[in-house]
Amino acid sequence: MNNKLYSTLRVLGIVPTMLFSASLLHAQTNQIKGTVVDAKTKAPIPGATIKVLGTSNASSTDVKGAFQINVDDKNRILNISTVGYENKTVTLGPGETTVTVSLDEQTQQLESVVVTALGISRAQKSLTYSTQQVSGDELNKVKSTNLANNLNGKVAGVNIASSSSGPGGSAKVILRGNKSASGNNQVLYVVDGVPINNQTLASQPDNVFGGQRDGGDPISLINPEDIENISVLKGASAAALYGSQAANGVILVTTKSGKQGRTTINFSSSAQIEQAVSTPKFQNQYGQGSGGKNSNTSVFSWGDKTNGANYDNVGEFFRTGSNFTNSLTLSGGNEKNQTYFSYANTLAKGILPENDLMRHNFNLKESASFFDNKLTVEGSANYITQKLDNAPSSGFYYNPLVGTYLLPRSLNIADYKNFETFNTSRNLNEQNWFSLSDSPTTQQNPWWIVNRNPTRSTRNRLLLNGSAKYKVAPWISIQARGSVDRTSEVWDRKVYASTPNPLGKTNGNYNYTNTTITQQYGDVVANMNFNVSDKFQITGLVGTSITDWKTEGVDFNTGIEGLKIPNQFFIQNTTTPVTSTLSANRRQLQSVFASANLAYDNWIYLDLTARNDWSSTLAFTGTKSFFYPSAGLGIVLNDKLNLPEFVNMAKVRGSYAVVGNDLPPYTSLLTNTVNPYAVLTVNDIAFLKTLKPEKTKSFEIGTEWRMWNNRLNVDVTYYKTNTTNQFFKVAASQASLNKQYAINAGDIQNQGVEALVSLDAIRNDDFKWTTSVNFTYNKNKIKKLADAVPEFNLTGENQNNFASKLEVGGSFGDIYGQDFVRDGQGRIIISEDGIPQKTNAYTKLGNSNPIWQMGWNNSFNYKNFNLSFLIDGKFNYEVMSITQSVMDGYGVSAVTGAARANGGVAVNGVTPNGTPVSVVDAEKWYTSTGGIGPVSSQYIYDGTVVRLRELTFGYDFNIKDSFFKKLRVNAVGRNLFYISKKAPFDPEVTMSTGNSLSGVDIFMMPATRNYGLTLNATF
Amino acid sequence: MKFNSKHIVKFSLAMLLLGGTMTSCTKNFEEYNKNNIGLTDEDLKGDGQDLVLFLRNAQMSIYNFSGAGDPNSYQVQQNLNADVFSGFFMSPTPFNSGQNNLNYAMVNGWNGEPFQVLYLNVIKSIEKLKSNGLAETYPALWGSALVIKVEAASRVTDIYGPIPYSKVGTSNTVPYDKQSDVYAAFFRELDEAVTALKSYKADSPMAAKIDQIDLVFPNTDNQVRFKNWLKIANSLRLRLAMRLVKIDAALAKTQAEKALDPANGGVLESNSENFKITIPADGTYSNPLWFISKNWADTRINATLTSYMTGLNDPRISKYMAPVIKDATTTAFAGKYIGIRTGAEGIEKDKYQKLSALNTEGTTPTFVATTAPVLMTAAEVYFLRAEAALRGWNNAGGTAQSLYEKGVETSFTQWGVTSGLSTYLNDNTSKAAAYEDPFNAKNNAASPSALTIKWNEGATNEEKLERIITQKWLAIFPEGQEAWSEFRRTGYPRLFPVVVNNSGGLIDTKIQIRRLPFPQNEYNTNAAEVQSAISLLGGPDNGGTRLWWDVNKGNF
Repeated sequence: MNNKLYSTLRVLGIVPTMLFSASLLHAQTNQIKGTVVDAKTKAPIPGATIKVLGTSNASSTDVKGAFQINVDDKNRILNISTVGYENKTVTLGPGETTVTVSLDEQTQQLESVVVTALGISRAQKSLTYSTQQVSGDELNKVKSTNLANNLNGKVAGVNIASSSSGPGGSAKVILRGNKSASGNNQVLYVVDGVPINNQTLASQPDNVFGGQRDGGDPISLINPEDIENISVLKGASAAALYGSQAANGVILVTTKSGKQGRTTINFSSSAQIEQAVSTPKFQNQYGQGSGGKNSNTSVFSWGDKTNGANYDNVGEFFRTGSNFTNSLTLSGGNEKNQTYFSYANTLAKGILPENDLMRHNFNLKESASFFDNKLTVEGSANYITQKLDNAPSSGFYYNPLVGTYLLPRSLNIADYKNFETFNTSRNLNEQNWFSLSDSPTTQQNPWWIVNRNPTRSTRNRLLLNGSAKYKVAPWISIQARGSVDRTSEVWDRKVYASTPNPLGKTNGNYNYTNTTITQQYGDVVANMNFNVSDKFQITGLVGTSITDWKTEGVDFNTGIEGLKIPNQFFIQNTTTPVTSTLSANRRQLQSVFASANLAYDNWIYLDLTARNDWSSTLAFTGTKSFFYPSAGLGIVLNDKLNLPEFVNMAKVRGSYAVVGNDLPPYTSLLTNTVNPYAVLTVNDIAFLKTLKPEKTKSFEIGTEWRMWNNRLNVDVTYYKTNTTNQFFKVAASQASLNKQYAINAGDIQNQGVEALVSLDAIRNDDFKWTTSVNFTYNKNKIKKLADAVPEFNLTGENQNNFASKLEVGGSFGDIYGQDFVRDGQGRIIISEDGIPQKTNAYTKLGNSNPIWQMGWNNSFNYKNFNLSFLIDGKFNYEVMSITQSVMDGYGVSAVTGAARANGGVAVNGVTPNGTPVSVVDAEKWYTSTGGIGPVSSQYIYDGTVVRLRELTFGYDFNIKDSFFKKLRVNAVGRNLFYISKKAPFDPEVTMSTGNSLSGVDIFMMPATRNYGLTLNATF
Repeated sequence: MKFNSKHIVKFSLAMLLLGGTMTSCTKNFEEYNKNNIGLTDEDLKGDGQDLVLFLRNAQMSIYNFSGAGDPNSYQVQQNLNADVFSGFFMSPTPFNSGQNNLNYAMVNGWNGEPFQVLYLNVIKSIEKLKSNGLAETYPALWGSALVIKVEAASRVTDIYGPIPYSKVGTSNTVPYDKQSDVYAAFFRELDEAVTALKSYKADSPMAAKIDQIDLVFPNTDNQVRFKNWLKIANSLRLRLAMRLVKIDAALAKTQAEKALDPANGGVLESNSENFKITIPADGTYSNPLWFISKNWADTRINATLTSYMTGLNDPRISKYMAPVIKDATTTAFAGKYIGIRTGAEGIEKDKYQKLSALNTEGTTPTFVATTAPVLMTAAEVYFLRAEAALRGWNNAGGTAQSLYEKGVETSFTQWGVTSGLSTYLNDNTSKAAAYEDPFNAKNNAASPSALTIKWNEGATNEEKLERIITQKWLAIFPEGQEAWSEFRRTGYPRLFPVVVNNSGGLIDTKIQIRRLPFPQNEYNTNAAEVQSAISLLGGPDNGGTRLWWDVNKGNF
């Protein structure tokens, strides 16, 4: 053992333990000598690992392929493994002391096994649809607080947007395009065969004022270290067995289990720091005031020139964030029992002061087999507890960014770091900010918001899984599974006195919510396989499942009078308490399903599935259940078609599936609602016709090629999905006495191509380079809406002049807004007073979904060094920035400074009576085209962004000790730089992971750059 | 293992076993899928709650304070529109970077609120009552519901012009009616209301919860209640008739005389009969104007109102508004009554919110959380009668002068002003004052009018009308919607024009704003009908186009 390392470990107290266990193992032994060679070439294989099963004894081969290892009388089975070769187990005969082991070169990819729907492992070669695997190691390269973000750029066909709500925020994961106009478009997460509940706890921002919070998605609570691998089932065919929840694709997560053999302990630690990137650009020439005149009461920066004031107010406010993750896993077991335990903690500090997250994850998984392995029982318990303070929210309310960005440029934010001053007459501290009366934006002192309008979410999640599988006969086994997934959260916000109206009451106010989401799942599945003849096999399953979701909770707030005694935050302290029962969101889905996989002669594969769902959300519609089938065919060509030798596998595949989708809960029975003040709101939604389930028809064809010893892999898929009978809530003319109509209609089509090319470019002993490119193209088209309804509004008209609409011929995510009024020559009509005229009607200005995406992943290994990087890009889409328009309207942005310095804004304009206008006063221009209700077309940006998403550089310490298996240290970075970016913010960040408010920035937290170190040690 | 018949049997058995567990357990689905905090119309029937909720919803939405909590709706329904265009209020807040309706840069997101509230809150509720058979069960109550509907809808047609009315709720694209047809429908509905209200007898059945239902006359004897509603119906007819005097003088006269005919039940004569909506005590409702002024400081008194009230030495001034707050920045003018010019230049909230506010402070504030919003007063009706007399119509019940003076007197009583009436009525020298903006001289203006208070029988009809309308305007404060309509009809009182006009030439500064554009939502959802509505309007859909009754000619 390396002396230095030894002494370090000794200090850490590890060595005594090791010595102790080592002394036990050297008890009674005889030595085996052996050689490991390549089965074909007979060349020696260096670096192969030899283990004695049932013991913790291990060794490895030297450069000549030779090894020595001690065995005892009872444990005489050797397991030999190394990269690139199939594992081999050799049983030593009595008295045998020398052995030569020949290993077969791995044809791993060809025969590799993929976890598919319902946790069933199948040979990849037999699949008739497209999947993509991501290993746990790949996923954990550069940790982030939501593991969904770690998939970004790595999987073809998936579009991931992280929310702007900092650590603990949710992620929007869309596979193969948005399909449902008002339903859920996000993927389904399935952990170890059981769908997990991925509802976000709180509603996401859906209007410009914001103030709503991102409750975080339950996937973000999972410990990434527990993940063995992830399998992405992209199309409806792959997911058909999961039914309606899976219409948007499935991310199958397989977690680690205990393994037979020796106990493994793994410790990993990651420390990262985080910095804001792509923050807005400010002007520094002009001060507080308007009309070019200074005024110390103005909220604008349209004043006179300053005397060189230059304050980095944004830099002063944001802090450097950090993210520490430590994880310890233990696994071990024997043939009958295996145990896996893990513990992880995450301590993250966002770039927003006081935005802190602390999370603990505990996971215990136990597997056991009985009755000659006929019965296998597995159980796991996951407990996660998380505390999250001051998760940032977008929009104007309670948002520290508003004050930070809009502070007049001649003022120094550092002067307000002392966010409160003592008011002797009230005997309490009051907020210190230059203006507390800017009602359009409700801006406040940013430090006051994080310290005196603080929020805290405490979340506990318990996820229990149990399964039993009984092998009734060699051809049939029956498995029953059950899970309970319960997340409860207490969230509160304290608002201290002197927070201005409408956010705060005179003595302050208090809001407290307690929510519990419970998902119960159960299934029974019979798995069968029949060998009809030597060449013809059928495997199949029939099963039934039930899923039940329930959200319950209460919300309390101090009502119209707020707190009675100032700044004392508890429920009794008010004369006007408002308590409300949260909408329960009950839903139940019952299903029966069956599938058959027919394999002929290992080269033709036919998959058939069928499923019928009964959903509670269809109550009152007359339809209770819906049926949908899928079929797929895969043909492996290389064996039958005499393809050249270098082709290891060539496969074509095609599949067609229909997946039904139920309605959102509570839509089929319209009711009047009662607000927390017991005030009735008359129902203002109507059905245009009886509702029915949504249907997605999906077709895909693809081909897979593996060549030159599996060194080049190509996988290309073309798909087309049509989602019909969509459930829409359409804005209505209020004169119809309805605000919205609910209908089933439409046909939203997504078609696209996904490609994945990976290449083991260099595979030397010392130097390895693997590279892969994934490519995604998705074109969304609204083919049909309802008769006589040419367009649907996803968001209504709003004060920001932003609307998201669906129009026949358009596509999902189209952004509509106001534009300039122009004359026949395209000149902007500018009034005599210098005010540009805007259209009343909204026109299409862009689309917020990337048409194509690319990711380029590279990994280099030189001896013990490794380097990897991921570059990805999203192209051809548009985003809108209200942050920029408001900053322009307030005169703080860099462009407004430049325009003033240039003597105005150069325009191609004309007055109503025909006089050309070439320059407009900057203040007139930006206060009329910018502001809260801007000329939308001026704030639409090309969303194209290409970035260096991940970079790691590491070293594997070679440790020749039988206990210390591996030690790896990596320097890692995420989102290091933009190779190309045109919008004033990172277009990938989203205010909401819901369907509306995508592609709009309303004072969102900026994107961040992370870098740090990770350490991974296996004992 | 080879496949054989034994396997088929086993396979089928397994299928049956699994299928058996699925025997439809869907009987709870309806229970699961009913929103636990939702109420169907059927659920509301218990204890007559449907009647309470729907009728109250309609009444509280005319001047929208339903929904409790924050009065965002009223703010854009009226306070940032008519309340300002009438010269009563102005906002010290530079909404939308200072470019907004108040300086004629019309904000799309603001213009649809009056429309939305009318249909979704008022008419929808009344349609529910209609389909529940209110006209048959309690005809008099149905009569009052019709009056509420006409009151609410007349305010909205006078904002936009043509509105959907006769075909409301019949389909998903709703045609607009031209404004003349909308007015004709109002008169018909008032006929129906009058008949229904007259039918009330002491022994007629009445809803048990009538005192909770009727927010206009709560805790009133039923016979008195419906007599009062009848007077409101007639007074409303008089108001609407007068609106048409320039476009259809004959119709105006007929309808006005009908309204004033004592045989029809009379009009509002006493302040106890005023049409106002009581703020219910069983919830956290509040007067939205009070809320916006006190809690948000988003509304202040308009310069036109301070100019008239200070210049005319109006004793009601201290009831209406508070003087400028004293602090370090206002020492030079604190204690004075100073308003803000509409469309003022250089609006900064921290400065301008210190100017005269609605009188919400002190030991006896006129406006408190529970102050009932007033929609029509006896004083207004006296002024309408004065104008009827001036026009020589029958049934006015007095001379123009006597009714004019009675109007002022009734207003003084309404506001609790007990002295100074005769001094005021006999003042023939005081005029509206010039305006000085303490922060920005560019907003200064000369006196808007040379008009005095004292009635002058020898004056021209035009001057007499200016006198009547100006005093009516002072009396109906803070009801900006009616004040703006009457300003558009008569040109009185003479209001300060906007200082900054950002309409880009669409709205003339001198003529001032005439209407709001149709809601953007209508363009999105009812596009073809909006296009025909624009042709019914007879001009482009912007704030400069006059309504049907708003004829560009003299008043006589």
